[in-house]
Amino acid sequence: MQTYLHRHAPCRPRKLHLWYGLAALPLLAVQTAQAVPAYARQTGSACADCHAGAYGPALTPYGMRFKMNGYTDTNGQGTKIPLAVQINGRRIVPAKGQSSNLLSEADIYLAGRVTDHVGGFVKVADYNNGQDKFITQLNDLDLRFVAKDLNLGGKEALIGVSVNNSPGFTDPVDALPANTLNGPPTVSGTLLNPSSANNLSHRVIGATVYTLYDKNWYGELGTYNSLPVSTQYDLGYTRSGDPGRFSNTVYARFAYMRDFKRQFVSAGLVGLTTMRQRPRSGPSEHLTDLGYDVTYQYLGNHENIVQFAYVNIMERRRYATTPLGPLPGQVAQPRGVVHDQTLTLTYVFKQSYGVTIAHMVSTGTHDIVRFVPYGQPETSSNSFTVFWTPFGKDDSFTSIANLRLAAEWFRFNKFNGSSSNVFGAPPGAPATNARDLNAFLLFASVAF
Amino acid sequence: MSQRFLRRWLRGSAVAGLLLGWTLASPMLRAGDAGAGADVFKSECAECHSPKQGKNKKGPSLFGIVGRPAGTAPNYKYTDALTQGKWIWTTDKLHWYLSQPARKANPGTRMKYDGLDDPKQLDDLLTYLGTLH
Repeated sequence: MQTYLHRHAPCRPRKLHLWYGLAALPLLAVQTAQAVPAYARQTGSACADCHAGAYGPALTPYGMRFKMNGYTDTNGQGTKIPLAVQINGRRIVPAKGQSSNLLSEADIYLAGRVTDHVGGFVKVADYNNGQDKFITQLNDLDLRFVAKDLNLGGKEALIGVSVNNSPGFTDPVDALPANTLNGPPTVSGTLLNPSSANNLSHRVIGATVYTLYDKNWYGELGTYNSLPVSTQYDLGYTRSGDPGRFSNTVYARFAYMRDFKRQFVSAGLVGLTTMRQRPRSGPSEHLTDLGYDVTYQYLGNHENIVQFAYVNIMERRRYATTPLGPLPGQVAQPRGVVHDQTLTLTYVFKQSYGVTIAHMVSTGTHDIVRFVPYGQPETSSNSFTVFWTPFGKDDSFTSIANLRLAAEWFRFNKFNGSSSNVFGAPPGAPATNARDLNAFLLFASVAF
Repeated sequence: MSQRFLRRWLRGSAVAGLLLGWTLASPMLRAGDAGAGADVFKSECAECHSPKQGKNKKGPSLFGIVGRPAGTAPNYKYTDALTQGKWIWTTDKLHWYLSQPARKANPGTRMKYDGLDDPKQLDDLLTYLGTLH
């Protein structure tokens, strides 16, 4: 993906793999729209029953239950074709650089139930690389088997298995960055943050077992392995974004959630630990992510919906090597810690008009060698989004298709630990300040 | 007793009788607020049930629910538990059904509902359901 941010790049970034991460910057926010009208046709439900703004992701408690039920719920009125299409266009107006209009993405969703116990979500995306060349990628994959209506110790329970390609994507609460895609855009983020460089999303394959006990207690345990580089390439991904070889990978999630019908609360823990070799023939580094999240939703009669989420993920790193810096005596730290935090507040009126404010911060241990140019990975950014979704409600023109128009202002307070000259341009060379990375974006998405 | 008085008495009795009969026969026996009931419907029921005629979601359409024999919404596949119930959805039956977990009221049903324990909300909801004709 080629973005306007590349044009601000120093000519020869010292750590190329870090620089690739910039490609994922504000544009990731573009991809937060997810809509699967195939599910609406399957269930007879309106888009707004599962999504607060009648357009994904932003799940309501009902949408969470649909997800945990393995996408198998139905209105029982015949077999529906589990196919949906989404087309996205956008206009980007960067603070510096040229504006551009793009037919940015066309998606095909193969999504729905196979049997009462088997269902899935598969998204194949055709991305515009910025030069009107489309790249087809296997995006999200989540195939499930679920045993429902079990009785464990006198309590209702369900147990499911998911085969998926993104740790955290399976989560029902829909707060983790893999779901919301609004993790802090940074070059140093955690493995659970798909906005960080060489992240795991779509480049791994894994299986998790999950359970919902007594309607409120959710637990999930699984493991992942990275796909071979050639397979990643065949699926539409660059070789340079390979997250490396993984071993002894364990993903765990635990959450308490409570649906009061008019309100919803949840609190959860998430963990991911792995040994990673990057490059694949190199030594292993040990990475452990530990995070917590809290969410609250006011739903009322769904005329005024408020959603709040806070996610804090810490990653402990025991690096495989301690490379030397360009100056004498500079040596990389053998260990480090990074934090990704995201706070999101959304208000939706009549399930049609909404505003979302997000604050994203990524911080980490000072390391002059690993985090060029200042040794600080700190990034701080905000997004302000307003959107309109006219359809997808029971009483709208159509309840099973939708349009989403959105405007977003994405701003950086800090990047690479600095608000000015964030790429460390030498004296005399044009410097890029954090605010130069800001952008105003317009989106139009249609799903049917 | 004059004929005039007798006519007035008969007329008054007829009006009173009609009012009493309407009250007893009306689905709005429980004097709730239909407007408030619509809100309760949106928060408690609307995800699985539509008030529109013929629109089944995960649960059947609730259009015309009051007075309808259980398990008879067109084109909806019910569980045996409900079709074998052989009852009519009167307001009293709905009150009984909705004031407790659905699976306690009708073991074997697919419906996962914990029940509405707020008596005013329940009355409002039943009044609203009575308007769906």
